[in-house]
Amino acid sequence: MKFDTIIIGGGLAGLTAGLALLKAGQKVALVSDGQSALHFASGSFDLLGYDAQGQAVANPVEAIAQLDATHPYSKVSDIAATAQEAQQLLAECGLKTKGDAQANHYRLTPMGALKPTWLTIDDFVTLDEPATAPWKKVLVANIMGYLDFPSKFVVAGLRQLGVEVDLKAFTTPELTRARKSPSEMRATNISKVLTHPAVVAEVARELNTLATGYDAVLVPAVAGMRDGGEATSLKEQVDTPLYYVATLPPSVPGVRTQMLLNKRFAQLGGTFLTGDQVTGGKLEGDKLMSINTAKLEDTELRARNYVLATGSFLSHGLAANYERVYEPVLGLDVDYSGERKDWSRYGVFNDQPYMHFGVATDAKLHVKKDGKVINNCYAAGAVLSGNNRVKMADGAGVDMLTALQAAKNILQK
Amino acid sequence: MANKTQIESKSIFNFEQCLKCSICTVYCPVAAVNPTYPGPKQAGPDGERYRLKSPVFFDESLKKCLNCKRCEVACPSNVNVGDIIQAARMQYSQHKPGLRDRILASTDFVGTMANRFAPIVNTTLAWGLTKSLMHGTIGVDKHRTFPAYTNQRFETWFKRNAQASQDQYSKHVSYFHGCYVNYNFPKLGQDFVKIMNAVGYGVHLLEKERCCGVAKIANGLYDQARKHANININSIKKSVQDEGRPVLTTSSTCTFTLRDEYDHLLGIDNSSVRDQVMLATRFLFQLVDQGKVKLAFKPDYKRRIAYHSACHMERMGWTVYSTELLKMVPGIDFVMLESMCCGIAGTYGFKKENYETSQQIGAPLFEQIKNAHVDCVSTDCETCKWQIEMSTGVPVENPISILADALDVEKTIALNS
Repeated sequence: MKFDTIIIGGGLAGLTAGLALLKAGQKVALVSDGQSALHFASGSFDLLGYDAQGQAVANPVEAIAQLDATHPYSKVSDIAATAQEAQQLLAECGLKTKGDAQANHYRLTPMGALKPTWLTIDDFVTLDEPATAPWKKVLVANIMGYLDFPSKFVVAGLRQLGVEVDLKAFTTPELTRARKSPSEMRATNISKVLTHPAVVAEVARELNTLATGYDAVLVPAVAGMRDGGEATSLKEQVDTPLYYVATLPPSVPGVRTQMLLNKRFAQLGGTFLTGDQVTGGKLEGDKLMSINTAKLEDTELRARNYVLATGSFLSHGLAANYERVYEPVLGLDVDYSGERKDWSRYGVFNDQPYMHFGVATDAKLHVKKDGKVINNCYAAGAVLSGNNRVKMADGAGVDMLTALQAAKNILQK
Repeated sequence: MANKTQIESKSIFNFEQCLKCSICTVYCPVAAVNPTYPGPKQAGPDGERYRLKSPVFFDESLKKCLNCKRCEVACPSNVNVGDIIQAARMQYSQHKPGLRDRILASTDFVGTMANRFAPIVNTTLAWGLTKSLMHGTIGVDKHRTFPAYTNQRFETWFKRNAQASQDQYSKHVSYFHGCYVNYNFPKLGQDFVKIMNAVGYGVHLLEKERCCGVAKIANGLYDQARKHANININSIKKSVQDEGRPVLTTSSTCTFTLRDEYDHLLGIDNSSVRDQVMLATRFLFQLVDQGKVKLAFKPDYKRRIAYHSACHMERMGWTVYSTELLKMVPGIDFVMLESMCCGIAGTYGFKKENYETSQQIGAPLFEQIKNAHVDCVSTDCETCKWQIEMSTGVPVENPISILADALDVEKTIALNS
């Protein structure tokens, strides 16, 4: 099977690279081993939230210029333009976001904290500044029996801003029915109940009764898993300004992002090999000639170029045993140091060394094996070394911008 | 399985690799519409921890699982969630299959009987009165239309019209036709023979073929399933090992059952022949890809076709073979449908207690198909075909039938001789 480019990994980085290459007219295949970490996403996309000293960043583009050369952004040629391109790409998939690469805004976490971010889905609650809320009196409304929204934390977070907050719960007959399996009363299952317009209308009626007299009503982001349609419809039917707040995973806006990107990928003619695992590749000199997968067995997948976007440890893009940290798909070189005891540090919230580990690449994002550059295989996203996405809040930005850069490097060859 | 468990220090079905991330639940078609089903995570790895302590924790609601395996395709940790659920049903369920379940599961026995009286059976099954009777008495849903039975089985047609000419070819394959081709739709088998002959392969029946057993596994007739599976595997071994003929199929679910469910659920060792059992689309694609076979298509063939990835096709990861083959036909305007369950799940949707759930599961797919404005839908699964045709009115064809239709036979024969 022959393609122009084969992408390994079906998360934000892999799909971004795939979409950019499809738009340029390439024939693209993508191999994805199970669903991606997008399913845990917050509804916001971070570019750079904190600098190397841990200070909140106001202007990501400016702050990125100050990062040292090991950070993956050092391999992206024009941060501002590429960030613009990324936002545009999301919009083309049907995901409308607000935000600016030159000015972070603040998102509200399900734990009630405010965090700097780059883009947020446009119907989510955001603040321009961390200390000031645009409302005096706010209602937080949760669905009865829905446990993945720690509403009291959200309320406490908002009260710290000096806002008067009330917390109320609501339900409808259909939502009560969904509660029959309490452990499965998850955001994504509630979202499926809300695909019926009649249920959305009932929720809107409930909220209109509860939210009269408030400046805004905040509800957990449980509507609009497939394309956001129900989320928009609910907002339109409620008289008080309504905003969504991120929930604990599985995340409806995250799944929506995944589904919209997948759909666009299929529309543009991409071939998506789902639930399959790359088992190895054939190298000749400085070139990757073909790869094999578990399901396609002896069918070789051949391409002129490859993009490795397999993610970090959680997504099995990286693995560790007692002796070493390694890249399990193609056995590529990994940047890491020390012995196992040096890979982590006391205190789970400290800057953990293992978070900086990842595959080694040259300035063009080419991967390496046994010290030698592979000239037609690029890495993008969380599999790259050089940043701690938790501490720096740069995950989505690294995924999308390095993927777009990898696509550019392929097209400019 | 047992060896793998020891060597790779992983337990059966990768049970302990579950991170409780709940991604499986997102893609479970049943949990989406039926809150009384606990969902794949709870029914699978979560529940398994308790069942290992004591069988009292087994819950009969696990029978609501469709066995679509979409949870396994979605799982980022390679847990065989669906297998865990099916294995638990087989091990702990006290539910005994009733008459209705036995009839639905015995596709080969019922097919044999129905073929003898096909015109009468087909007419009778189409009567509203019969449907109401079956609905009220045995619990086959009245909305369902039974696939028509043929009065000449595929095997009979093959022996009378094709068998004698097969030895003239230099290369050979065996064909596991399955119940649907044999009893209901011999045309698909005929299309398969037409293509294989055109590219220079002789086609042969297996020494003995029984139903693959998927419906028997789903309906709790495990001993019968095992008995038939052994007959099939022995015939397949004879074909592969003694005659050097790979065994090709045209049904994704039969293929999946022969390759994976025999080993995972019935405990039948098929490892020596597993890689020689495959869908005809995989076999053909590989031949074309390796330049060993060339296909020529009619210049005036023009159709807009949407492909639907059946659940077991998705689980096998083989959708790409069928879609790449269809894309080779210059006259096909190809539309890839978003992959989702159609809701029939073999015999599941035929049961009156499941009818509504079944249609609710399929609704988003039907919507997609209606909006695609296509001449036909293509899929590798026969039960998806019934469900989609009944629910959308759009005709559904196996990719092999579409290829056979589009193929310029004379030219293809010339290219390959």
